[in-house]
Amino acid sequence: MREVSAPLVIHGKRGNADVLTAVDETAERLGLHAGLALAQARAMHPAIDAIAEDAAADAALLDNIADWCLRYTPLTACDGANGLLLDIGGCAHLYGGEEKLVADLGRRIARAGFAYRVAIAGTIGAAHAAARFGEPAAYAAGNERDILYPLPLAALRLEPAIVASLARVGLKRVGDIADLPRSPLTARFGQSLLRQLDRALGQEHEPLNPRLPVAPYVAEQRFHEPIAREEDVLGTVEKLAARLGIALERRGDGARRIELTLFRTDGAVRRIAAGTSRPLRDARDIRALFTERLAALADAYDPGFGFDMARLSVVTAESCPSEQIGIGGEEDAGELVRLVDRLSARLGASRVGRPVALDSHIPERAAATVPAQTVKADQGWDAFRRHRAEADLAPRPLRLLTRPEPIEALAEVPDGPPLRFRWRRALHDVISAQGPERIESAWWSEPGAQSADNRARDYFRVEDKSGLRFWLYRSGLYRDLVRGDLANAAPPSWFLHGTFA
Amino acid sequence: MIEELRQRLRALQKSTGLAPGAAEAQEAQETIVPFGIEAIDDALGGGLARGALHEISAPGEAHLAAATGFALGLAASARNLLWIAEDMALAENGAPYGPGLDLFTLQPERLLTAAVAHKRDLLWTMEEALRCRALGAVIGELRGGALDPVAVRRLSLAAGTSGALALLLRAQPCDDASTAATRWIVGAAPSTEQTPFGPGAPRFATELIRNRRGPLGSWILEWRDQDERFILATPAQPVAAAPRHRPRQKVA
Repeated sequence: MREVSAPLVIHGKRGNADVLTAVDETAERLGLHAGLALAQARAMHPAIDAIAEDAAADAALLDNIADWCLRYTPLTACDGANGLLLDIGGCAHLYGGEEKLVADLGRRIARAGFAYRVAIAGTIGAAHAAARFGEPAAYAAGNERDILYPLPLAALRLEPAIVASLARVGLKRVGDIADLPRSPLTARFGQSLLRQLDRALGQEHEPLNPRLPVAPYVAEQRFHEPIAREEDVLGTVEKLAARLGIALERRGDGARRIELTLFRTDGAVRRIAAGTSRPLRDARDIRALFTERLAALADAYDPGFGFDMARLSVVTAESCPSEQIGIGGEEDAGELVRLVDRLSARLGASRVGRPVALDSHIPERAAATVPAQTVKADQGWDAFRRHRAEADLAPRPLRLLTRPEPIEALAEVPDGPPLRFRWRRALHDVISAQGPERIESAWWSEPGAQSADNRARDYFRVEDKSGLRFWLYRSGLYRDLVRGDLANAAPPSWFLHGTFA
Repeated sequence: MIEELRQRLRALQKSTGLAPGAAEAQEAQETIVPFGIEAIDDALGGGLARGALHEISAPGEAHLAAATGFALGLAASARNLLWIAEDMALAENGAPYGPGLDLFTLQPERLLTAAVAHKRDLLWTMEEALRCRALGAVIGELRGGALDPVAVRRLSLAAGTSGALALLLRAQPCDDASTAATRWIVGAAPSTEQTPFGPGAPRFATELIRNRRGPLGSWILEWRDQDERFILATPAQPVAAAPRHRPRQKVA
């Protein structure tokens, strides 16, 4: 533990000087203040405990506090390096009024060990100014003039250069500029000055830019006693999902992406998201998804002393026609979809895939595996089959290597199939071969079109003495060598690209 | 109600290994995958049992594609098919390639794949998938190493509940204890007709090394993609029968 009495200061580089950026109470009583040079502070009080500032950690902490504030309103945003903006319009009554909300917030923030100032006002600008420069209190909307007029101009969130040049002509308080003619002010100090003034006074609308997207459907539950067990959390999820289900059904929507936010008693916030492959409304299905998510989290779920609030929000909703369930083969499809959702929740959406055919003649680009939750009804295989019938393609291997592997091959004639080759240190004698099937390079695409791996390929299907079948290709053609330009052209090389049954 | 009892009866018959009666031949179609080859079907009691776990190993990693083909040939009749493999297996031996799958009459639309990081996840995914009635077959690909017998037992039980064909594909033969109904070693075999157009139809040297019903054997099979089934192939070279194992007769 740090000794309580040692004065603590945080210092950081400002310009070329190492100055104090923050001081604690003890240090303040000694006469230290932010902005003082560190060397000077050390000279005044050699016993101070100086720590270098860590802006990234500060920002992360502020983000965490912003997340924690989601318990009051979904509209929270970071305001500068040390402030938060909460839009509590329509939320305050849940706590029994603005004063009680502020009291609750203050109690919890203070308990976590933070000093704070809160102001409630009708505009973002006025609240910002009052919290930093004025009297922290709750002001009714429409009183912006009374709040702002006595405050210094810096309260308007202006650039320091503008504030300095205004001060040079004797304009120091907001009230000084509020009634001046507008056009000379704009001409002299730029548009941002009057825009900030108008926004603070509520004459121009200023939107709050929330840190997290606001979910269209939200249900939440507070607990008098914190809950910690997984079953309790899942039970809560099901209860909240049932509430969301009613709202979703009323609007004919289904959830595609659901987020569970758990507020731990010590202030930590857990956000757990789960995706679905079709619009979902059923509470039991949603519970099943989160069962897998929590199981996959294992130790990272860490209830600590328990959660005192849970919120389930539908982040992405999609229209979902009501359907009759339970007759005929349709149930099969539903069951498969549920399996895909469960597996995706546990393993990760990108790990559960379906093969799709792509429009390319380069073998490794002709097919891909895409997340099964996002796959469309038409996976492109019909088009591929038509193309294969027309072009009379040679058979393709059962398994394709992610990257073609270089092999040492010996061919009888330069353009012919290999007689023998070495792959992964084993020698294979070729008994029979089919080919070549020439696949031209994609010369029209990509900046690296002239690179070594974008050359014409001659594919061969070969069988070795023991019956193993391989798909080999020679990258590059000998005719390119003959044509001259020997300096540039690398000799053709052999690769193994796949294996047949 | 009656259907439920019938199902229970079928499950019992399966677990005791009783052959279904002639009257139930139609129903047997749903519980077994016949090879259509008398010698093998006799040994297996009509064909490969659905709702049970079968192990297919390649004799070595190079033969894995052949073992894969054999597994796909067996699973081809399933309406939906899940293939689960470890990341390492996919990186080493390649992922199933859509355009090549239809040789085994498997439309890529019916295939679902899952890539897992650990063997533990693989077993979990397989078990979870086997409980889903929408899947006709589940193939799990293991790169090597022993399996937890309890996990394998769980897989067998899970397969029994849904009636799906559970196939465990292994790159190396392994002789750990297991509750699998059958265990095969499947490698590639040379094809006979070396047409001027290259290799002929794929052939498999299959060896049934464990069978809960008893009879074992080894066969050379050929996949006929016109008929969508395996046929018995004559070996490319004449082979002498393997000497019998007679431990009591000492060679002088």
